[in-house]
Amino acid sequence: MNIILLLIPLSIVLLALAVWAFFWAVNHAQFDDLDTPALTPLAEDAVPAPVAKEPREP
Amino acid sequence: MNACFHCDEPIPPGVHLSARLPIGEQAVCCGGCRAAAEWIAGLGLADYYTLRSSPGLRAAPAHDFTSWDRPELERLHVRKQGEDRADVVVLVEGLHCAACAWLIERALGVQPGVHGVGVNVTARRVALSFDPQHTKLSTLLGALARLGYVPHPLTADAIDCVRQRETRDALKRLLVAGLGAMQAMMYAVALYAGVFDGIDPAVRDFFRWLGLLVATPVVLYSAQPFFFGALREWRTRRLSMDTPVALAIALIYLASIVATVRGGHEIYFDSVSMFVLFLLAGRTIAMRARHRAGDVVDAFARLQPTLAERRTPDGFESVGVHELIAGDRVRVAAGAAIPADGILVGPACRLDESMLSGESAALPRLPGATVTAGCLVVDGPVEIEVRRVGADTVLAGIVRMVTRAAGARPWLARLADARAARFVVRVFALTALTALAWLWIDPSRAFPAALAVLVVSCPCAFALAVPAALTRAVAVLAHRGVLVVDADSLEALARADCFVFDKTGTLTTPSVDAAAVEVVRGTCAQALAIAAALEQGNTHPLAAALRECAGAADLPVATNLRQVANAGVEGAVAGVRYRLGRDDFAASPEAAHDDASRSDALVLSDESGVVARFPIVEQLRTGAAAMIRALQGAGITCEIVSGDAPARVAIIARELGIDRWQASARPEDKLAHLAALRARGRFVAMVGDGVNDAPILAGADVAVAVGNGAALAQAASGILLPGGRLDAIVEARDIARRMLRILGQNLNWALAYNLSVVPLAAAGFVPPWLAALGMSASSIVVILNSLRIGRIVPTSPAHPASVSTIDPEQDRSREAIA
Repeated sequence: MNIILLLIPLSIVLLALAVWAFFWAVNHAQFDDLDTPALTPLAEDAVPAPVAKEPREP
Repeated sequence: MNACFHCDEPIPPGVHLSARLPIGEQAVCCGGCRAAAEWIAGLGLADYYTLRSSPGLRAAPAHDFTSWDRPELERLHVRKQGEDRADVVVLVEGLHCAACAWLIERALGVQPGVHGVGVNVTARRVALSFDPQHTKLSTLLGALARLGYVPHPLTADAIDCVRQRETRDALKRLLVAGLGAMQAMMYAVALYAGVFDGIDPAVRDFFRWLGLLVATPVVLYSAQPFFFGALREWRTRRLSMDTPVALAIALIYLASIVATVRGGHEIYFDSVSMFVLFLLAGRTIAMRARHRAGDVVDAFARLQPTLAERRTPDGFESVGVHELIAGDRVRVAAGAAIPADGILVGPACRLDESMLSGESAALPRLPGATVTAGCLVVDGPVEIEVRRVGADTVLAGIVRMVTRAAGARPWLARLADARAARFVVRVFALTALTALAWLWIDPSRAFPAALAVLVVSCPCAFALAVPAALTRAVAVLAHRGVLVVDADSLEALARADCFVFDKTGTLTTPSVDAAAVEVVRGTCAQALAIAAALEQGNTHPLAAALRECAGAADLPVATNLRQVANAGVEGAVAGVRYRLGRDDFAASPEAAHDDASRSDALVLSDESGVVARFPIVEQLRTGAAAMIRALQGAGITCEIVSGDAPARVAIIARELGIDRWQASARPEDKLAHLAALRARGRFVAMVGDGVNDAPILAGADVAVAVGNGAALAQAASGILLPGGRLDAIVEARDIARRMLRILGQNLNWALAYNLSVVPLAAAGFVPPWLAALGMSASSIVVILNSLRIGRIVPTSPAHPASVSTIDPEQDRSREAIA
């Protein structure tokens, strides 16, 4: 049973680490927009863009 | 009907444009859309069309953003990070999905001089970082507008920061409470097991101290909002749910600490953490919904004009509102908001001051009257002498107020609050009674029983019943493109049994048939240019159609402009006096009667007679017919009240199957009609374009504005349908009705729950941990029940074109299920 004296404090340290990591992520805008970044990997990398053709005026 | 490849709006008859794209020629509806589509493809970004989940906005005709480059305006919006780096954040209209973000990032990213582009779809903001030495802000904003996303300056920047902090804090609190509750629960399980199987007191105390360790941050950090809320309620002497919640949390926590230190009988660290977690979860959901849907602040940011037309010795120049100083003279167009507090110079006009006074009817103002920034000029243009600017204006004060109060609560919610407050008082009385009774019978059970009463009775179920349903409905609607400006109008929409529609710009979209312009004198281009100049700054759909037809050609300057409501406009161009409008207004009255079909046209005339006729082609809006069928299927009376000629109203009415219509109605007639309907006990919903019928919209029980958010629409109606999706009204009505039903269920549930458990708790049958569970569960039931809103109604297809095929049968069955 004495093992809990080691394991439980260990779990609390891990908990504190998790909370710290989450706070860090929130403060660094990781949770501000949950929709857009999901699509980013789907798009192909920017092709070396052809010279931006100016659109004709309507 | 063919739909435009870019914006997915139907292509007007007679328009044969196509965009040359790598995937072949695609039909488009206008030059703007062609330019946008070709530009997007030219940048190698044609993927946008496969990634997007809703169609793009119709590409805006060329906007002029050069005034954004003025140092005075730049100082306010642009943050300089160094010589070669400047940041700006703008609010963008028309951001729907992640594909829009992708498109904007790519398209602007390749512009020379751009360091970085960040798009936040949820907040509808674009953050640009650019090199002011290599490019100008106006160029970038112009590019953004060409893609179909019109940028607005973000005047509510400070509010935005507050909102961001609120979201982040809520997330952190929720996580701490969640992790804390899990740990506390784990230790509590060990303790419960110990009670049955026997536990060494040392180990038991160890677990209790651990419980204290994990519950402390939950109570002291996560539960802060409840304590502050209770403090606020205490200061204002208004009881609501925060007081009993905070009191219960504090009592449970302190009792548990005492039990831990002195080796007492029972600890509740798990209960208190769970309690905080569930309550926070409910709050966070509500806050998210509010942020997503409310956007009250955005509406205000748009209400406040950013540009003004200042009179200079030689005409008018467009300047930032912040450059204005007292004594300047500015011109304000019809339908636009007044930029600064001042004195009306002339001519006499009507002002919509609903923003200030709540008085929705437009009020006449004579020259010399004081006018307030943010009020809308109903008929204009007028000139104003500026007296106070910027932070001194009344509007700035209102915005500050909104920031503080975070918007008014709808009366339904206030009603529920009042009920909750009464309920809380009773709960306190009952708690005290229970404690006294038990002290007399058995003092050792007094504390747990009193605590159980306090905890098990759930004012949150009461307090959440209404806002949960309301916010959910508002959020669901926002997700489907219906913006609810004023939550009270949802209830009104659900009860409405009579829908009155405006015609032009609401049921139909007008456009000028460029091929059939009839020119009596001069050239077609000249006539169009003069007409467009006269209509400059006018928000009527016909005026917009004329301007679009005239294109981006150099327009002459029109002076002495004067709007005549429901008839047309007159003004001088290059010294000649012109009239533009309906036959009987512009041409001589007798000419009006020579040919009935002629009344389909806008007529431009000068002193010597008719110059040109612009035939108007009207097209039913997508989904109009389906909407009318669905509404009539649900037993609702539909009517058209239009200022247009009887023949044309009759055609549209027949096409839509509406047999009650009224034509040639002046605004007064429309208002009188609405008043008559209401006097007969009907609950009237008025659907208009929100621009030219603002006072009429205000005369109905609920106002719905269709179209693309003009400033007036933001102010005048409770519900907005941006993008002109008329069929969304049916959906909105279904959801509103469902909301009312669910709201009733929520209240009944809260009542039934409390009536059944409070006596049990007072009798001492409910241990506090069960009470905490019951209270949380009853709140969760309310939230889950509210989440059912919008689940049975099928999600709207991505393309509005396909929505228009809803058939009434299906709609009725949907009604039945709901």
